[in-house]
Amino acid sequence: MKKPIAAIGVATTVAALAFGAAVGVARAQRGAAPPRAAAAPQTPSAYAGPRTPDRKPDLNGIWQALGTAHWNLEAHSASEGIPAGFSVVEGGAIPYQPWALAKRTENLKNRLDDDPLRRCFMPGVPRATYLPFPFEITQTPNHIGIAYEFAHATRTIFLDATPHLEDLDFWMGDARGKWDGDTLVVETVSLGDKTWFDQAGNFHSDALKVIERFTPIDATHINYEATIDDAKVFTRPWKISMIVYRRLEKNLELLDYECAEHVYEKLFKRRSGKS
Amino acid sequence: MRSSIGIAAPVLAALLLPAVGAAQDGRAAPPGGRGAAPANYPPYTRPASAYVPPRTADGQPDISGLYVAIPLPRGIETPLVPMAGRGPNRANSEFSYSLNERPKLPEGAIVRPAGVDPPDGKIPLTPEALARRKEIIANQEKVEYLDGRVLCLAPGIPRSTVPAPVVGYQIFQKPGYVVIFYEQNHLYRTIPLDGRAALDPNIRKAMGVSRGRWEGNVLVVEVTNFTNNLNNNWVIGAVSATPGVPAESLTTGHGIPHSDQYRVTERYTPIDANTIHYEARIEDPKVFTQPWTVAFYAFARAPKNYVPVEYACFEGNEKNLLLMTNTDITGVRVNVP
Repeated sequence: MKKPIAAIGVATTVAALAFGAAVGVARAQRGAAPPRAAAAPQTPSAYAGPRTPDRKPDLNGIWQALGTAHWNLEAHSASEGIPAGFSVVEGGAIPYQPWALAKRTENLKNRLDDDPLRRCFMPGVPRATYLPFPFEITQTPNHIGIAYEFAHATRTIFLDATPHLEDLDFWMGDARGKWDGDTLVVETVSLGDKTWFDQAGNFHSDALKVIERFTPIDATHINYEATIDDAKVFTRPWKISMIVYRRLEKNLELLDYECAEHVYEKLFKRRSGKS
Repeated sequence: MRSSIGIAAPVLAALLLPAVGAAQDGRAAPPGGRGAAPANYPPYTRPASAYVPPRTADGQPDISGLYVAIPLPRGIETPLVPMAGRGPNRANSEFSYSLNERPKLPEGAIVRPAGVDPPDGKIPLTPEALARRKEIIANQEKVEYLDGRVLCLAPGIPRSTVPAPVVGYQIFQKPGYVVIFYEQNHLYRTIPLDGRAALDPNIRKAMGVSRGRWEGNVLVVEVTNFTNNLNNNWVIGAVSATPGVPAESLTTGHGIPHSDQYRVTERYTPIDANTIHYEARIEDPKVFTQPWTVAFYAFARAPKNYVPVEYACFEGNEKNLLLMTNTDITGVRVNVP
């Protein structure tokens, strides 16, 4: 069984030795796996927007998805405080195995307590992309960094054949990318089993693999697709797609949603009320 | 249970420096009289660097890449009142590395506490701030006073550059920006270089709002607009405070909150292709009697094949907090004993 890194990710001052040991294990194994071979033939592109010095589409900047996928990936009517929305799932419904559909229904019922985001945990992939918070892409030839405003989650996508780390899970996964023509293809594994896809309780197991395709349409729009592959939960791989929009406000920058801080504010307030 | 902090107890506590004469006098000297450096530390001067980094495509000095923290050789501060039987500073021996080899100070570097100005190495707290610090240090078993880094709050600046158990940094550069990802608690900063104005003072960020510029090959960053909601947002602090050490005898920088006036000026000086020296000038007229400065060799180019990993601090912290504070904290379902 994989050990979720969160289990050893206790407070910095206290867990120095434990953490160091665990990471040491991960690093000792680095290099054991061969780099993944580049796959998929290049697809033709109509992209005519700006490019980086290495001739890739320039994705640098702040982006955000619109829509209701963060509430529910599937089609849904409005309920109190929640707008109605179309499905972003290809074919409309998520192909759950029967037991998993029952669990999703249970999750939906208990979502106000059980949604990991209500506990300020990192949102995982692909959920981070379509939260109602912006994210910032920093693009270099070998690494693409994505910084998310929600809970200051980050991802570093390695494009330089760095092998996946073995035997550790990460809330934001372990991401490796490559360019397929003008499409950035990112394969993310080791996502653990603790994150959800949305507030409606759509979920996955630790067998999840996500393949994202960032295809720029022009300078300000990306066609974002994510293929969800998890044989423990679904009857087949399935795909979501949506448009991600470049935020064009002058001098825009990511701000804070320091989720944990608000938890403590609430905790301290309640404690002072008691004492 | 504060005893869990004991994991990080110094194993080199016996390492004694020669007595530092000025430190023995505590706060006796008036602020105006704190000119003289302790006998064994020469006055701080910025490191001269003849190194010229390569240039990025948009002409910035190129300091991008993966780095790891260089351990602080002598903690952060010279204590106001040294504890009997202990040197005023000690090696930062509680520091744990997952790497086979800890990065070393560059050749010729002076082994000294990070607090270099004022020259006596003490943090120039106002009397009110010192009283506040004593209160914080004396109440560490209460979650309201606990180190924000133990709570997995973003530690701000310059604290995010003080070596932590998770040691990696990734510096990106893109046209008009330097971006720093900290492996510690998956923190990040985007530093615009275009001279834009600071943000509205109503907007606060845990890592502050950064505005950068290149002065030759030195990256200078002004950081303002820090979050000031909680007493747990401290200015600085090394890996751990040794239990039982009174505030006057600390060398670790723990327990200093800041006000809404807090601002920091950072200088990142590339010394060679593998080393960046870091300086932070700290100002807060409501907390300090004068600006003060920490400076140290902070970043060493990471070993080949170093891979930063996610440090899910808050996600893994619930049981830890329960042990330390007897407080069940489960997000929205906060149960107060």
